[in-house]
Amino acid sequence: MMDPAIDRVLTRWSPERQERARAVLAAYPERRSTVMPLLYLASREHGYCSREAMVEVGKITGLTSIQVESVASFYSMYRRQNVGKYVISVCTSISCFLRGADDVLAAIEDETNTPDGETSDDALFSVEHVECSGACGGAPAVAVNWELIEGVLPDKGRALCQWLKDTQPETVLADEMQALFGGQQSFDWGIAEPQGATSHVPAFERYDSAGDAS
Amino acid sequence: MADTPQPELVTITLNGVDTEVRKGQLLIDAAEQAGTYIPRFCYQNRLKPVGLCRMCLVEVEGPRGTALVPSCTQPCTEGLVVDSENAVVHKAQEGVLEFLLLNHPLDCPVCDKGGECPLQDHTVAYGPGESRFVEEKRHYEKPIEISDLVLLDRERCILCARCTRFCDEISGDSLIEFVDRGNGTQILTFFDEPFASYFSGNTVQICPVGALTAKPYRFRARPWDLEAIESISMVDSVGSKVSVQTSQNQVLRINGVDSDTTNHGWLSDKDRFTLQAIHSEDRLRVPLVRKDGELVEASWGEALELVAERLGSVRGDEVAGLGAARSTNEEAYTFAKFLRSVVVTPHMDAQLDDALSDEFLAATLNRAEINDLETAGTILVWAGDLKEELPVLYLRVRRAATILGATLIVIHPRRTGLSDVADHVFTYRPGEGADTLRRLKAGDGPFAEARQALDSGPVMTIVGRTGGAEDPRLAESVAAFARTLPDAAIMPLARRANVYGALDMGVSADLLPGRVSVRDTEGRTALEDAWGPLPEGRGKHATEILQGLKSGDLKALITLGADPVGNHPQPALAGEAVESAEFVVSLDTLLNATSARADVVLPVAGFGESEGTATNLEGRVQKLNRIIPPPGQARTTWSVLDDLARRMGATLGAHDAETIMKEIASIAPAYAGIDWALLDWGEGRDGVVLPGPDGTQPLQHMPVETSVTATTGRFTLHLGRVLYDNADVVRNSPSLDVLVQPASAAFHPRDLAVLAVQPGDSVRLAGDYGTVELAVRADESLAEGTVYVQANMDNSRALGASLIVQVDAVRGEGS
Ligand code: SF4
Ligand code: FES
Ligand code: FES
Repeated sequence: MMDPAIDRVLTRWSPERQERARAVLAAYPERRSTVMPLLYLASREHGYCSREAMVEVGKITGLTSIQVESVASFYSMYRRQNVGKYVISVCTSISCFLRGADDVLAAIEDETNTPDGETSDDALFSVEHVECSGACGGAPAVAVNWELIEGVLPDKGRALCQWLKDTQPETVLADEMQALFGGQQSFDWGIAEPQGATSHVPAFERYDSAGDAS
Repeated sequence: MADTPQPELVTITLNGVDTEVRKGQLLIDAAEQAGTYIPRFCYQNRLKPVGLCRMCLVEVEGPRGTALVPSCTQPCTEGLVVDSENAVVHKAQEGVLEFLLLNHPLDCPVCDKGGECPLQDHTVAYGPGESRFVEEKRHYEKPIEISDLVLLDRERCILCARCTRFCDEISGDSLIEFVDRGNGTQILTFFDEPFASYFSGNTVQICPVGALTAKPYRFRARPWDLEAIESISMVDSVGSKVSVQTSQNQVLRINGVDSDTTNHGWLSDKDRFTLQAIHSEDRLRVPLVRKDGELVEASWGEALELVAERLGSVRGDEVAGLGAARSTNEEAYTFAKFLRSVVVTPHMDAQLDDALSDEFLAATLNRAEINDLETAGTILVWAGDLKEELPVLYLRVRRAATILGATLIVIHPRRTGLSDVADHVFTYRPGEGADTLRRLKAGDGPFAEARQALDSGPVMTIVGRTGGAEDPRLAESVAAFARTLPDAAIMPLARRANVYGALDMGVSADLLPGRVSVRDTEGRTALEDAWGPLPEGRGKHATEILQGLKSGDLKALITLGADPVGNHPQPALAGEAVESAEFVVSLDTLLNATSARADVVLPVAGFGESEGTATNLEGRVQKLNRIIPPPGQARTTWSVLDDLARRMGATLGAHDAETIMKEIASIAPAYAGIDWALLDWGEGRDGVVLPGPDGTQPLQHMPVETSVTATTGRFTLHLGRVLYDNADVVRNSPSLDVLVQPASAAFHPRDLAVLAVQPGDSVRLAGDYGTVELAVRADESLAEGTVYVQANMDNSRALGASLIVQVDAVRGEGS
């Protein structure tokens, strides 16, 4: 039996996300275990992991709002501030740093007119530096909405920003961006993932656990 | 009470000495019991161990050599070899402290905790003395007000999680948590939502540093200037152990003291912060006598002469007494003796007909102790909302349900503080309780599982009036059923601090001191031997007393810490009674709605100001201590009554509280063998559960089932209590008074639709005893046909406690 409190929250969500949330809830014996996938769904619904999003997840999971925030604030991928359409994450950990990541970051900050950690006035870009993206073999690495591009040099970084500004794609695709702006790649070990990303909120399509692809 | 089985023992070697300890006991506790204190921050004996802070590291021998392990998570096993004092351990302790002090400010001179701070103390005892950290410490905005009662200085926090674990495990109000876990971990509330918990003060008490401080105490004193004395809380009838801390005759702080039998160290914020009322400017300091319609100051001599003369001018049985439910046993006993043997009247009541019958409360068969919750298989709570009425008992029930795994059944007209942790929750419309009971007994429909659970004992049943308008006989019917359940233990509830004691002292129309019925001729004769001839027959109860005063059958009223005008279920009757009485004398600490209309008001000593004993809801007698003098000319109740008796030509022999207790022990059968030495505070001493060591209980009350007829009427009233109401003690505690929310009228949303009102609109409620207008609220947990109103509020009091109420929407002008 679905708790009426859950229904009250979910019926405010889009039908697809409602359905996804119910599937997530069905997959766990304890309601509180669903807090993380639901935070992604709520973030999608609200654009980011807003106060309202955390309150809603609390109501669904039976946790208090602050308990939800305690989880959300631990992970940097739950955005508790609103971000731009494209979140550009420049890796500045050791391998990328050695391969000139600081210059890449500076170029991207300059091209988007957005300092590290901030969002552009037109809400198109958020720029951030991140710790190791797991692409050391293809350093320096840059990700747009978690779609990874390897071997990005400063001028390619600028070109990437320009391209995003001009074309403003709804979906960004790693392979496409790699071909346009990438350089040296680490060996290709990943599972082909042709889905792409439509926002900064990750979508775990394959595992039926969170997010959504659209 | 169930016997605890003998624990299995094992031998460990602690610092080279073989020591017998309980198998499985945590090493940190076992060592402490053996006299070796291991320093700690995160471990608190009433919370689950988490092993967070590493302050309690000890060296333990294992198959692959020695290792440092946290003693707060290490269970004792046979042959465990432990060193808690060697160089390796000291090095670890120094390291932990050096790390903690990286960010902890050295602002002890301006910190409330300074002088009683575990971090300060441990640093002195086990710390490195110097830090190698020269960089900047963390800084935060400080302090932030996380509630009206609690302030937070985040930079002092050492992340022990005691406060968050208390909220999660014990109180269930998880409103503070760690956020930004990582380098910037801090305790916070959710945005601007306050840490609004009835138990917030406990986090302040257990915080091992000065990160959480209580607003009412902050910067008021230094711990080394405080004198502390143990006593028990007189806020409600749980009898929680407290430490009352004073400086220069001012009570500045009340902390909980760990007691296995009652509060486990916890208090409600009401227990903790109503100390402000002790020093209220409005405390009565001099006797007042009415002259030309005004209460004016008078000397004790003048006031007492007047009272003696007026009481002497009417027949004894034209006088009635109300109160003593907040007095000590010694005071209550003197009151009963004064009324029965000096005034010679049988009319007296410690209650205001707002809880259960005197015999049921004082002498039910199968009476439970709080600790029966520890062994209960199933717990049935069919009473007021415990979180609102008896918060510490709520904590104990919650513990049984969440930590000890008892099956919890809660039956109440709406959702209660326990609903979230209960296995079975039933709500019903007030007036339909008898039918609900019938269905529960039969295991009818939705009751089937709960009924089955009641077959697995021991079954502890907590019964009380769910609300002011409910028939008190329902609770007895529930108890009559509960007695038939396996290993039944029954706890009938009343709320006022020493109401059980006052009844035991015979402040009752039905009872003589020591749990003797007034109908018990043998008991009566025995009492007459001591007190002289007693008035004939059964006396009048509170409502009958008020009716008698109104009709003129009774002429005079003596109140002792009671306010019938403010608190009786029929406020208009109480008001008329006091108006029509020829003479009213009030013994009290504050002026209330009744004493303000009295002819004479006598100021008496209150909590912390007089010594004595009190008896809690399980019949446990505990000692109350005196730590400050009463204000102004206020005197102890017994000395006032003793003086009065003398002026009326009699003697009470009430010279001091201890002598009175000796007299009680010799006269009241249930109290035989009790003396103050027996009640002395000390390790593992928690007073005495009655009957006393040489005691007997002549009256054995058998709860009976009465068929209470179902009500008719469109709406029935649930008049439920909330913790912070407009009671005098709250009104005189500024820190709590701001938390009081005015009463409203709550309905199920479908009823709102039928009434065509919206939340925020007004309705007029008209009952048998009065009419009020209240704002409307929606409450889905109510059954249709119920209106829920918070009791004892300035804007709801006039309604009284009538079961059936007429509800009409109040339409504003022009709509
Ligand atoms: S505020 Fe106090 S009790 Fe809470 S985690 Fe910090 S140090 Fe521990
Ligand atoms: S350091 Fe940049 S991907 Fe590993
Ligand atoms: S007291 Fe043992 S780890 Fe904190």
